[in-house]
Amino acid sequence: MSPRNILLICRRELSDQLRDRRTLFMIAVLPLLLYPALGIGTLQLTVLFQEQPRTVVVLNADDLPAPPLIDGKHFAKTWFDRPEETEKLNIVTAATAGDHPEQAALLAQAENIADQIRGGDTADANDAQPRNRQRHSAIGKLFDDADFEVLVIVPAGFADKIAARGAGLSSRDTEATAEPARNRRPIVLHNSADERSLIAFSRVMKAVDRWERALLENQLQTAGLPADLPRPVNPLEIDLAEDEQLSANLWSKLFPAMLVIMALTGAFYPAIDLCAGEKERGTMETLLICPASRTDIVIGKFLTVMLFSLSTAILNLVSLGFTSWYMASLGSSGALSRLGDLSLPPVTSLFWVVLLLIPLSALFSALCLALATFAKSSKEGQYYLTPLLMATLGLTVFCLSPGVELEPFYSVMPVMGPALLLKGFLKETTLAAAPYWYVAPVLVTSIGYSLLALWWAIDQFRGEEVLFREAERFDIRLWLRHLLRDKEPTPSFAEAMFCFVVIMFLQFAAMRAFQNPLHEVAEADRGTLMMQLLIIQQLAIVATPPLIMSVMLTTSLRSTLRLNWPPLKGLAIGAALPFFLHPLTIELASALRWFFPQLPPSVQELMGQMADPSQSLWLALLAFAIAPGICEEVAFRGFLLSGFGHAGRWGLAVIVSAATFGLMHLIPQQVFNAALLGIVLGLLAVRTNSLLPGIVFHILYNGLEVLRFRNFTTLPRGGGWDWLWHIDGGEMSYQPLLLLVCAVGAALALGWLLSGDRRRDEAAEPLGDGLPHLAR
Amino acid sequence: MIAVERLTKRFRDLQHEQGFLALDKVSFTVQPGEILGLLGPNGAGKTTCLRILSTVLRPTSGTALVAGYDVATHPADVRARIGFMSNNTGIYDRMTAYEMVEYFGRLYGIPEDMLKDRIEHLFERLQMREIRDVLGSKMSTGMKQKVSIARTIVHDPPVLIFDEPTSGLDILVGRKVLDEVRSLRDQGKCIIYSTHIMSEVEKLCERIAIIYRGRILAMGSVKELQEQYERDDLEELFFELIDRHDREVASA
Repeated sequence: MSPRNILLICRRELSDQLRDRRTLFMIAVLPLLLYPALGIGTLQLTVLFQEQPRTVVVLNADDLPAPPLIDGKHFAKTWFDRPEETEKLNIVTAATAGDHPEQAALLAQAENIADQIRGGDTADANDAQPRNRQRHSAIGKLFDDADFEVLVIVPAGFADKIAARGAGLSSRDTEATAEPARNRRPIVLHNSADERSLIAFSRVMKAVDRWERALLENQLQTAGLPADLPRPVNPLEIDLAEDEQLSANLWSKLFPAMLVIMALTGAFYPAIDLCAGEKERGTMETLLICPASRTDIVIGKFLTVMLFSLSTAILNLVSLGFTSWYMASLGSSGALSRLGDLSLPPVTSLFWVVLLLIPLSALFSALCLALATFAKSSKEGQYYLTPLLMATLGLTVFCLSPGVELEPFYSVMPVMGPALLLKGFLKETTLAAAPYWYVAPVLVTSIGYSLLALWWAIDQFRGEEVLFREAERFDIRLWLRHLLRDKEPTPSFAEAMFCFVVIMFLQFAAMRAFQNPLHEVAEADRGTLMMQLLIIQQLAIVATPPLIMSVMLTTSLRSTLRLNWPPLKGLAIGAALPFFLHPLTIELASALRWFFPQLPPSVQELMGQMADPSQSLWLALLAFAIAPGICEEVAFRGFLLSGFGHAGRWGLAVIVSAATFGLMHLIPQQVFNAALLGIVLGLLAVRTNSLLPGIVFHILYNGLEVLRFRNFTTLPRGGGWDWLWHIDGGEMSYQPLLLLVCAVGAALALGWLLSGDRRRDEAAEPLGDGLPHLAR
Repeated sequence: MIAVERLTKRFRDLQHEQGFLALDKVSFTVQPGEILGLLGPNGAGKTTCLRILSTVLRPTSGTALVAGYDVATHPADVRARIGFMSNNTGIYDRMTAYEMVEYFGRLYGIPEDMLKDRIEHLFERLQMREIRDVLGSKMSTGMKQKVSIARTIVHDPPVLIFDEPTSGLDILVGRKVLDEVRSLRDQGKCIIYSTHIMSEVEKLCERIAIIYRGRILAMGSVKELQEQYERDDLEELFFELIDRHDREVASA
């Protein structure tokens, strides 16, 4: 690696990109113009947008009691917060319709509806909700055809009735006041499925509520009673949110989302241009024949892409922040005024924005570069990068959800960690409350992911098949024939990956099939059924796909699934290791319990079954130890490990197979645990070139777990036993002495696994000539 | 200077059970001050062979030594000592002729002051003065080819590899390129020149290797070949060899 060459390449790529008008437009001009343009657009829309007044017909308005609800063609201004709001409703009554024939038509329509409602028996007619379904829909149809949004029907003699009640109240005449008001209620008809009607209705109700309260207060006053009688509690509502917090809340949502999306967009186009674009323009080979190494070239290009990603994100944020702040200060009287001051976050928060942007940009740049390297043309590059964009958008939306906050587990996830940390920093107005604790894990893991992605990009760039991919014609018939005819002893990397995807997909598809019978079965039998289903799942979903694929896609079942007799020492280690590793992993898992999200209830139930002493021990061992021990080994240390190791990179194969083995377990805790054990199992399989030690290990390890769950309460306790384990109520923990012994034993066994060569198998030997995918 | 021994290259290919055999045990040597012509139709394996020599492809088997270094084990050393030009090695659209040559000069690690003199000298010799500040996208094919040549020889490599350098050029520019290659030979460079044009080979090369379907069918000076196969015309000789090979393959 030569820093001079890296710098040279980076500088050239930078100036090259800066001379490209398209890139400049996307990276610099668009963000600077986009947000102000959006702002102007929004302002213009606000100016142009005038809410149309809606029509409300009030029948028998003369019978409304004082104070006056209606003033001419509108509701009286007093009944609204803002007087101009009354203009949004046009009121049509018998009085206003006098010289307007079209209003008379409206009244006729309204009368028609009122007649429908009054029709039938009187008891029913006075009910606002017509019970008869048929009549209800008939009225609904009439209402839809009518040219008003809300209809208010005031019953005859309503004012008199209210006045009588008022008088009754004054004279404390309980009989007059006790008259059921139900029989003489006004009716307000609206259709909440129609947005216009809904808005008009809510306005009408607001006015009517206020008017009703005023009416009541008048009556109480006349009766010499306190006006606040109907509201004995009347709580005082105080909103403590300050302007700063409101703006912090907005920024904490807006900034992380924009940052993630823009960092990706900024990396997207330069990465395509720098890799696929160069291939397309025929300059890639020119660069490849210069003395700069492939690593130099990739790092040079990577730095360029990252710089563009960083600057795009920052330019976007600056432009967005400035525009929205300016808009908010303009719209102090409009709807935006409720947001208060949208002042920008303090400088310290902006420092965090930039700091977290760096690993984010690095990750996206490396990923985009690796994917773009694979593409032959810019068009193809866009196809490959679109899924990345989709996945990132999904993660961003998740991080934006109000309930989602930074947790230990999220802090180590790619993209989510930085986005949530930033959300936390921007939300706090005082820096003391900021989540400093998470800075280190988020930064360390993000940088780790970026390095991993960069390594992948460099690896991609080294493969001549990737760089010199010809525009081959893809013929599915030819491909299938090749797949079934030109078989090799062991599967290819792609076939192994496909097998894993099939297993995951089947697991997903079977979820429903397995859940339904569990819901239907009686409580008592659920445990047994659950374990039976587990065995079926292992056989059908985990073991069957690799077995079928081994038979169909490879020539040697023996090499693929490592059906060899292991060296005795290997077998002995496979049998001894679980006893050493089990206590260690249990303690590790319990030490890391704070880190992971809580277990979902279904898993807790499953683990409960493991511990339930009323279940048959043999069934439990079969379901939790023997079936997975055999089936998962066939899949992950058999087919998948052989495929991943096809090119002879066994270290990578062990890691990838362990990662897939972990991922299959879905729940974060188990993913972690299984991935760790997957490495040990992978080493065991590679070192002994046999599946058997792994099966023995797997069965014993899981068997120990079952026995521990079921029987730890029966273990002897007290005295010397306390040196080994400690049992306290429902919890059991291993003690340092036992753990030390286990650690020494495990270290010795693992040392043997790591030292020495892997046992070879002539038939499964891959081509050692750097052409991994070639048939011999 | 260049020593190729049983060089073989297979590509993965769905149509062929064993993969596509692009090079089949090719062996030859080239000395300093000599031009070896690699003559063959399109798809004969010329480009694959030269790409292996320039280290962008790895051989499946066999060895290739360039300027004393093995292409498989010391690719960076090989790359520093060769100049490679083909119609796949384009020039950057958004760089001027001067920037392009300067950039590669720097990548080859030439000290700045020396590089400047060298570029001035090259631009003078190749008559590139007027296109010095022209962007790649604005150049004609001939201009681009000149920039490519300047880029290829800016670090004064002992070994030069030309893969169909005249394809797509008009007669005038093509002749200039040939003249340049000849003058490079006269400077003592070791040169491989691949083409499918007979006349170029006749005019330029001390020795020729006729390559077809990944195999070298015949090798020697034009005169030697004419005598060996009793044909005066190179073109006739070429077709004769190809026909014979096809017949052998068919009968086998």
